[in-house]
Amino acid sequence: MIRLHNILPALFLLTFSATGHAALRVVTTTQDLAALAETVGGEYVKVQSLTPGTSDPHFAVAKPSMIRKVFRADLLLVIGADMEIGWLPPLLQAARNIRVQPGNPGHLDLSGAVPILGKLSGSVSRALGDVHAKGNPHYWLDPRNGVHMARAIAARLGKLDPEHAAEYERRFRAFEQTLNDKLLVWQATLSHLKGKPVVAYHTSFIYLADAFGFRIVDEVEPKPGIAPSAASLSALLARITADRIGFLIMEPYYERRSARYLNEHTGIHVAVLPQSVGARKGIDSYFDLFDAIVIELLNTEEN
Amino acid sequence: MAYSKLCITLLTVVIFMLAANPDVAVANEATDELQRQIDSLVRRIEELEKRAGQSLNVPPAMAATGAASAGNGALQIGLSGLFAGGGSSVDNDALSRLQGGAHDPNQNGFVVQNVELSIGATVDPYFDAKAHLIFQIDSDGETVVELEEAFFTTRSLPGGLQIKGGQYFTEFGRQNKRHPHSWSFVDQPVVLSRFFGGDGLRGQGARLSWLTPTDWYSELIVGLQNAKGETMTSFLNAPGEEIGGHTLLDRDARRFGDLLYTARWLNGFDLSDTISMNLGVSGLWGPNASGDNTDTRIVGTDWYMKWLPARTQRGFPFVSWHTEVLWRQYEAGDLGIADRETLRDWGMFTQALWGFKPGWVAGLRWEYATADGDTATDPLRDTRKRLSPNLTWYPTEYSKLRLQYSRDWTEHLVDGSADTLWLQVEFGIGSHAAHVF
Repeated sequence: MIRLHNILPALFLLTFSATGHAALRVVTTTQDLAALAETVGGEYVKVQSLTPGTSDPHFAVAKPSMIRKVFRADLLLVIGADMEIGWLPPLLQAARNIRVQPGNPGHLDLSGAVPILGKLSGSVSRALGDVHAKGNPHYWLDPRNGVHMARAIAARLGKLDPEHAAEYERRFRAFEQTLNDKLLVWQATLSHLKGKPVVAYHTSFIYLADAFGFRIVDEVEPKPGIAPSAASLSALLARITADRIGFLIMEPYYERRSARYLNEHTGIHVAVLPQSVGARKGIDSYFDLFDAIVIELLNTEEN
Repeated sequence: MAYSKLCITLLTVVIFMLAANPDVAVANEATDELQRQIDSLVRRIEELEKRAGQSLNVPPAMAATGAASAGNGALQIGLSGLFAGGGSSVDNDALSRLQGGAHDPNQNGFVVQNVELSIGATVDPYFDAKAHLIFQIDSDGETVVELEEAFFTTRSLPGGLQIKGGQYFTEFGRQNKRHPHSWSFVDQPVVLSRFFGGDGLRGQGARLSWLTPTDWYSELIVGLQNAKGETMTSFLNAPGEEIGGHTLLDRDARRFGDLLYTARWLNGFDLSDTISMNLGVSGLWGPNASGDNTDTRIVGTDWYMKWLPARTQRGFPFVSWHTEVLWRQYEAGDLGIADRETLRDWGMFTQALWGFKPGWVAGLRWEYATADGDTATDPLRDTRKRLSPNLTWYPTEYSKLRLQYSRDWTEHLVDGSADTLWLQVEFGIGSHAAHVF
């Protein structure tokens, strides 16, 4: 016969073990942030990214399922620097979760954790195209920034979940160690690119250039976010020939026609670089991302 | 406030620019001219913005930064202008009856459809607030200003609850609460013009919304709004107006039953990684002004599907499909009155959009609206079909050009049909207008 006083202890045990394993719900705007949060948070967090690494995070489309994710989140990680301004503010309002509103501990804007490049001063007009006054938001493409980001995430996880703070710190240290080791290998592998002029499709690789020492001298887009025209392409073509620019780097989601045209007329090497974790199958971690970028740049050189 | 002064100046510039060119008449020939006007307008606006920034003693850089990238905490101010030019096979009188929306292009030649000033900000940890002011020029050249919306929303209620109060668009279906600059076609659907009037269904009131604790996205909204006024066409519309031959009385709200009750249930699912779907049902219950004890009921259902592949550039390519069906039951005349009857109307629209390359969207809309009884001569209740293909080009997120053709088959016209062609231009300046979904 089952009596209440017999099953009560079991119930208590069940409740405690359940809360003991209640993972922190972390929602991120991009897969890069998700990968870092998973690395640092381990088994104590449940991470979901709002956008896939295959898409351009400037232009995510807010879906209703995102509202549910943000509604239930304990921590929201954002790239910031206006990267998500086109879709995150209405999503935050619709999700009505005060914990993850800006200014609360459940909201972490990682652009505050890294040195931001390309900040604009003076008059910022949209006549210049899709420019960000707050600076260039593609900062996760410098592996050194990955360390800053992971550190900030570990600190915030520790604040929200003090019980496992030491564990987050330990996991961050391990990440930092591995990353620093790998960075030396990546930099050595790409040392031949040092000082070389490179053309990018969009203004999204300045951090990568900074990390590996090459120079981005021009973009395929005449202005950020403005599609190239025949005139702008022929001007770029002349420059590539005159300055002997050997590399064009671009994200997989941009049109390839312009790059093919430039390649056919100048022989410039075109490297389609995964710009985010999840941009291609097999890129599941922050390390995978740079492994893939380095291999892509190396292969392009050899071809 | 200096900014509102600026906006009024802007408006004057807009009016001036359009008035200065009376001899341009037909859209096809005027395309280039219109584009030049818009270009010069944008230049003037930028100049004005600079000047406004200086006169406020704000360093220009700061003023520009605020405008370009106001964050969540800052005041967000934006101005959008929507202009159209074009013509129809019918004259202006007939055209204004066909284009029932107050923001529809409704006369041959040029139309300032909508110039909208939007201001929004977070008030404090508890409230967000937003207002939309509309500037318009009617067919007599008079400038009309209206407070389209002004409302607060709560930020921190527990349990997924949220309250909105003030003057706002009723959450009925997907289309009603959209502002003209975010429409996918140059004009509003026929059935919405018929049931909700030219300005859409909106009014003063409050509503409670609940995000239910389900595994999928599910939101329940119930609200109460004043049922009186021009923006409550199917309810206590302005006295003297007519519906189905019944003249409307001056009827006031005297009890709770004289308010408009609104309800909506919206669900969202991801069918796969690339296909998402929304399903909604909405209902309205309120008094109407054809008698002292007469009521109107409107129900509607809406569905929306969107395909977005894994790899996109600027949110392209995509395919979306949006359909709404609405039914109205309108008790006309009090009990005991000889011509008492129940007017039954229904209508639908279904529209598909195909974003086939970055910045380019092709659209097709099919509409049908009809009513019971002998309504062939009534432009608001006859049987009407409309087919509208269009093509939109977005040079950036802040501007667009749209060409739309419409073929109308409608009973009240002598010829039974009409052809219309519009070219629409839009610009948006100020705070980043976040995309709605």
